[in-house]
Amino acid sequence: MPVVQRSKIRQRLLIMLVTGIGGMAAAAVSFATAVYDAANPVPAVTAAKGEAIDTGRWRVTINDATMASVPPTGTKPFEPKRFLMVDIELDNRSVTTSNAFMNLIAIKDERVIASPKPVYYLARDKWIASAINPNMPEKLIAVWEWPADRPEPEKVSLSIGKQIYKPRDNLYGAPNWFDDGEAAVVELAVTQDTGSSEQ
Amino acid sequence: MSALRALLLSVSAIAALYAMRSSTPGYGDITAPIAVRGAVGERVESRDFAFGAANVHLARQVRVESFGRIKEYSTSGIWLIIEGAAVAKTETMTLTSAEWLAGNGLRYELSQRFSTVPGYLPTERLEPGLPRPVLLAFELPEAAVDKGTLLVARSLVMPLAEELWITLGDKQPTDIKPSVTIARGSSGTPWTLAAR
Repeated sequence: MPVVQRSKIRQRLLIMLVTGIGGMAAAAVSFATAVYDAANPVPAVTAAKGEAIDTGRWRVTINDATMASVPPTGTKPFEPKRFLMVDIELDNRSVTTSNAFMNLIAIKDERVIASPKPVYYLARDKWIASAINPNMPEKLIAVWEWPADRPEPEKVSLSIGKQIYKPRDNLYGAPNWFDDGEAAVVELAVTQDTGSSEQ
Repeated sequence: MSALRALLLSVSAIAALYAMRSSTPGYGDITAPIAVRGAVGERVESRDFAFGAANVHLARQVRVESFGRIKEYSTSGIWLIIEGAAVAKTETMTLTSAEWLAGNGLRYELSQRFSTVPGYLPTERLEPGLPRPVLLAFELPEAAVDKGTLLVARSLVMPLAEELWITLGDKQPTDIKPSVTIARGSSGTPWTLAAR
């Protein structure tokens, strides 16, 4: 066969056309869905008080929130301060001891955040908590120092972060846990502690 | 016929690739520390340091006495306290990583709750040739003590370094004491340990 048949050329042209149009259509659809998702964010899942939230690495239960003037250690600060205290139950579901929960819970607020990071206390020892062991659920108290120039909240929204496990990450192929947005939002009524437990 | 052959070829290629992918060890396995095995009661040697665990205690509560004040540390499981000695061989170093590997594969890091315990492993600076008594404490569920292994390494982030794997063997304590008090020792040992 010295020359390529005319029908074969026509067939090849058709294939090129179909793949070209198909590829462009796929790119357009993917771009459009990305734009649509960015414009319409999925509303956060709300969880009730006392309900266990599965965040992947941790199982978190948010209980009561109180405003008090004494931190959980029982030592009254030298200058009068107000503390927002939230009772939390934590269960480490991963294979090792971890303190990653300290970056998990944040106050969800349109204005400036009260205090960037809370201090965590162990409920049974009334002392600052360290990392949480796997298979040993603990009760903790998260304490935010409330700024004096802001009115005390009637209710507070807490955003609970999520972490996912990758057996091979994208850089080294090493196994690790990675932040993955928000697992749930919990809205709590804040009760006032009159300070009967002062020392 | 040729279509069937192409199909068979591609299926077998996919199977071969999948088998290779799932049998390749991950980065974590490739760079994991090298285990040096030993038991409680003997000196376990690595290239850079040696460590020996002598006494093992189990307690429901730890009381730490420092400067006349007693701080109580409770736990939802039990405390595992190990007394031992460590020595550096080549250079001054600190052993910053100690873990308890339970029989079911869970890893428990050295408790970071104490701040003022004398002789606590990550705060002790080891000089080459000068053995120092060291103290380790773990918070564990009661079931994790059985078939557990103590892992001691210079650092968790040193790939391919040596790590000591120390089993309790016959030194596993049979009873759990209600409380153990750790106080600063007067002479000789940096701490005294009293069980109650």
